[in-house]
Amino acid sequence: MAGLKIDYSTCDACGNCINTCPVKALYKRGNKVALEENNCILCGGCIDSCPYEAISINKKRTKTINREKTSGIWVYAEHKKGVMHPVVYELLGKGRELADKSKHKLTAVLIDGESSHLAKELIAYGADRVILCSHVLLESQQDEYHFDAMTTILEEEIPSIFLFGATSFGRSLAPRMAARLQTGLTADCTRLEVDDVSGNLYQTRPAFGGNLMATILCPDQRPQMATVRSGIMHAKEPDYYREGMIKRVNYKGKIKPNIEIINEIIGEKKESIGDASVIISAGRGIGSQKNMKLVRKLADVLGGQVGVSRPLVDIGWSEYPHQIGQTGAVVRPQLMITCGISGAIQHLAGIADAKTIIAINTDPEAPIFSVANYKIIDDCIEVLKMLIDSMEKKQS
Amino acid sequence: MKIVVCIKQVPSTNKVQLHPETNTIIRDGRKSVTNPFDTYAIEEAIRIKEKTGGKTIAISMGIPETEKLLKDAMGRGIDQAILLSDKAFAGSDTLATSYTLSLGIRELMPVDLILCGKMAVDGDTAQIGPELAEQLGIPHVTDVIEILEMKQSYLICKREIDNGYQLLKVKLPALLTVLKDINMPRMPSIEGVLQSETIEVIRKDARDLEAKTSKLGLSGSPTQVVKTFVPERDSKAIEISGNIEEKAAKVKNIIGEVLGNGRSQD
Amino acid sequence: MDKNLIRAMAEEYTEFLRDESRMVGKAESISFPQCEKEMVHIVKKMVDRQIPITLQGGRTGLAAGAVPLKGHVMNTSRMDKIVGMRKDDQGSYYLRLQPGITLSQLRKKIEMKAFDHHDWKVDDKKAYIEFCEEPEYFFSPDPTEASATLGGMVACNASGARSYHYGSIRSYVTSLRLVLANGDTVEIKRGTIIAKGREAELMTEQGNLLKLKLPQYQSPSIKNASGYYVADDMDVIDLFIGSDGTLAIISEIEVKLLKMPPVVWGISCFFTQEALAVNFVKEIRKKTDKVASIEYFDGDALEILRVQKKKGLTFANLPDISPEMKAAVYVEIHVETTQEAIELLKLLKKKIKKADGDTKHTWVARVDVDRDRLLFFRHAIPESVNMLIDERKKDCPTITKLGTDMAVPDEFLDWVINVYREKLKAKGIRSAVWGHIGDNHLHVNLLPRNEKEYELGKEIYAEWASEISKVGGVVSAEHGVGKLKYQFLETMYGSAAVEQMRSLKQIFDPLEILGRGNLFSFTEGQEEKK
Repeated sequence: MAGLKIDYSTCDACGNCINTCPVKALYKRGNKVALEENNCILCGGCIDSCPYEAISINKKRTKTINREKTSGIWVYAEHKKGVMHPVVYELLGKGRELADKSKHKLTAVLIDGESSHLAKELIAYGADRVILCSHVLLESQQDEYHFDAMTTILEEEIPSIFLFGATSFGRSLAPRMAARLQTGLTADCTRLEVDDVSGNLYQTRPAFGGNLMATILCPDQRPQMATVRSGIMHAKEPDYYREGMIKRVNYKGKIKPNIEIINEIIGEKKESIGDASVIISAGRGIGSQKNMKLVRKLADVLGGQVGVSRPLVDIGWSEYPHQIGQTGAVVRPQLMITCGISGAIQHLAGIADAKTIIAINTDPEAPIFSVANYKIIDDCIEVLKMLIDSMEKKQS
Repeated sequence: MKIVVCIKQVPSTNKVQLHPETNTIIRDGRKSVTNPFDTYAIEEAIRIKEKTGGKTIAISMGIPETEKLLKDAMGRGIDQAILLSDKAFAGSDTLATSYTLSLGIRELMPVDLILCGKMAVDGDTAQIGPELAEQLGIPHVTDVIEILEMKQSYLICKREIDNGYQLLKVKLPALLTVLKDINMPRMPSIEGVLQSETIEVIRKDARDLEAKTSKLGLSGSPTQVVKTFVPERDSKAIEISGNIEEKAAKVKNIIGEVLGNGRSQD
Repeated sequence: MDKNLIRAMAEEYTEFLRDESRMVGKAESISFPQCEKEMVHIVKKMVDRQIPITLQGGRTGLAAGAVPLKGHVMNTSRMDKIVGMRKDDQGSYYLRLQPGITLSQLRKKIEMKAFDHHDWKVDDKKAYIEFCEEPEYFFSPDPTEASATLGGMVACNASGARSYHYGSIRSYVTSLRLVLANGDTVEIKRGTIIAKGREAELMTEQGNLLKLKLPQYQSPSIKNASGYYVADDMDVIDLFIGSDGTLAIISEIEVKLLKMPPVVWGISCFFTQEALAVNFVKEIRKKTDKVASIEYFDGDALEILRVQKKKGLTFANLPDISPEMKAAVYVEIHVETTQEAIELLKLLKKKIKKADGDTKHTWVARVDVDRDRLLFFRHAIPESVNMLIDERKKDCPTITKLGTDMAVPDEFLDWVINVYREKLKAKGIRSAVWGHIGDNHLHVNLLPRNEKEYELGKEIYAEWASEISKVGGVVSAEHGVGKLKYQFLETMYGSAAVEQMRSLKQIFDPLEILGRGNLFSFTEGQEEKK
């Protein structure tokens, strides 16, 4: 039976583990820490909380599959209407690195409606081999056909590591695949490292809304599956002289689908400021209403939204839907650039979850700087003008 | 129409706190709540039932205290609740959890629809839905924001995808994972709460489910967490200095890094 | 000392000329001190030149207490640290705070038990480590606007919904550090400086002795934030709590925390008529003492919220309220066990039925998420009203919301509602009523459409103040008097009492530099006479 073990020779009964336990499985009995096994969910939180390394989990495992038979590192090449999803090149970049370190081959799996020109592209970005499975039924991103095709491929060989983009397609397909193969899957990895002896993949991902990082292993099953979000890994410079092989797999397309795509509406998604991943926000310090144009311009260039502090709404330079803060929207963008916002308490309450904040303000003591990641003590309008200039140059 | 909703108990807060003395992580376990995404699944199940009639059942795998959350679901209008609880389930990853849930749901068959939240906020994996559907051998749709039509043998739903939406016709039985935009969960009423207090939550353990021990809990979980740590964060803002051109150039670089189009800079 | 400490009142600081009362003032300079030493430095600079100082925290006040008339604005929002904590012999915990910390920051830190303890003394750290092992604690005062600062809350003796059970902030302030108008400092710990009858002495840390002659009036025993608190043999610390920033500058506050009751549920009940809701409230008050708060929202308030909700965004997340419901009562219960809570729920059910309410149309918040939604609901109502007024202001810039803040003794609840309703009907002015009905403390918000109605509203307000004073009511129960209600202070206590208050102020602040215009009228030219 698997279970939690406390080593009483090193346990100091400090009680950290008791505070950490989410299910009250640990408690103090006399001057000892005791375990109520029926409550324990083996989450492992106590293990990390113990300063004396006195707690461990005993694990009896299911039998390992044969590792010799696995065929290296695979990347799922997601694409749409002949356009490769950028995350695929990023995965190939990472995959190449892992393959070189563990002396494996890197394979890209391409499931497509026609024998595609994309295979060459995949090799240029680092694949040694492309498994190509083409059939007219695979033209649309119909999960079921792709899943079925994938199953056909996996009947012949199984990778050691299988990487997917954490796109809406990948996040639907990969877990279903993992359950079919009865193997482990780690979502949204931000770091991947391979142990070249065991071939184990150390998969690090954020949990608890990014407040905690966890490193996860899948030691006894293959493939080790992971999804990675777009923009996390780096693609290599493509090399169109690279050579690689192409393996074709036949797809029969015999399944009867349960799901039918009636319609697809692309690019219509309306972002509200609450969901925006980029926000350029303005406060009183922009000086004049006409400068709102600059703020909007930068937001447009970066594909983001405009936010404002409350005073701007009060004096009519902007509208309520743009207001950020306690009485406006609460936002959680990846990037926020604040222009001339000093950071009243009520405003800061609305941006507490922003990932990266670049704050521009003339007052070196403005409270906005206490929550910013980067600060610029300067006139925000000057910086904005210069920034827009250089961004536009880059685009043209 | 028989609708099953899967719910999970999660810690009430995602904030990680460090112990002042030992600098180790304290995850205050005293408070737990229904995974927020699951509350939308509960609401959607109740709404469908109000329209088509039938029965709603909430199911959870968890420790005995999870019963409180199942009672809460009944307070909102769920008809019946089942708690899968056993020492043998401890340490389950998503594969073992979806296996265990699939056993609990198989006992309820025939089921028309299974609803899950998009993901659980403690793990953020969004894997249980598709894995459970595979274990049950039924189709699944993730990220549903609207159910437009509900018929005996199929439904039509709107699914959010990376840069738009899909309208899908799905044969039943099926499993859907729902987004928070799908509805606005109701509050339980006094009537509902008092009523739910009179209904017992059905408990099932590994033996009741006739589960294969090797597929349960820690032994049935291919993944294991080997380390957790708190990511380091700079608490102080880094000052960007220089003349205007230099400042703008530096900001441009930071934007590139943050937004992940680092490719062009590599 | 930082050269940039006292700054000219530039364009970028215009928002510091106003607060939630929407009154806009004037000032020549502003400062954001970060410690008591800086506060002293600023005070000395200003007093030399007889420049008045207006104190500010989160500017969430509704009585314009933080709005400057002229001179200097001292904003404490950058003094937002928790500087230490202690545990007493009874096992209670106390936190020492800078005045600029906001209620929401404080709550979050207490809930997470996450204090930045690196600069703390050894004993404080010890108390903190013990605190980490304890079950959940909370700070009970809960004004609706959680971005209020603690300094501001002490200055107006803030309350909130839970003060029905727990009382105002006064009961939880155990120590204050103060900067006086001459730059002297003093620390007052509760229980150490007690008046003899109506006389007291206070020694500053610089060795100056202040002989205090306390006013002779009786402070009312109901919820109150009007004028100085006085009583025979009083604790001198109580003089400063609710003094509207007119006696001294608060530089540090020690507050007491309470153990969080294991079961906290919030229940919203809806009624088709105001009278039914009021009957329900009276029944609940009679039958149980397990209730922490009883709040009320009238049909107009609910309707304004419905309208704002339709416009989307911020309030779209609120549950729908059925259109036939014309009154809502929110009851929060604090008990030890779930069983106890269920029993109370049964009682509420009985009482709702008795009051002809609908038990199916109730919201029971048992989990945090639901409770947060109900709190948001409570907060959304005043916000919606402010938005409505802001819209009207575009056509008629001179009008503002007129919100009352009066409380009466228990037996006058029906009477006071009747007084409000009759007058509103007779004058045909639109309103929205909500507030702490458990304490017979309703905020009647007059919503004028034009200047004429605005003037009329002011008249009505004054009439109510006088009627309510006659039955032992108070003109401000929690917002403070500030600059908007000083004339009502006279209505309530009489002019002799107000004169005595003013004399007391002059002992601390002979030049009337601090909080000028708060509590007492101040017209230009008055200072030359002095």
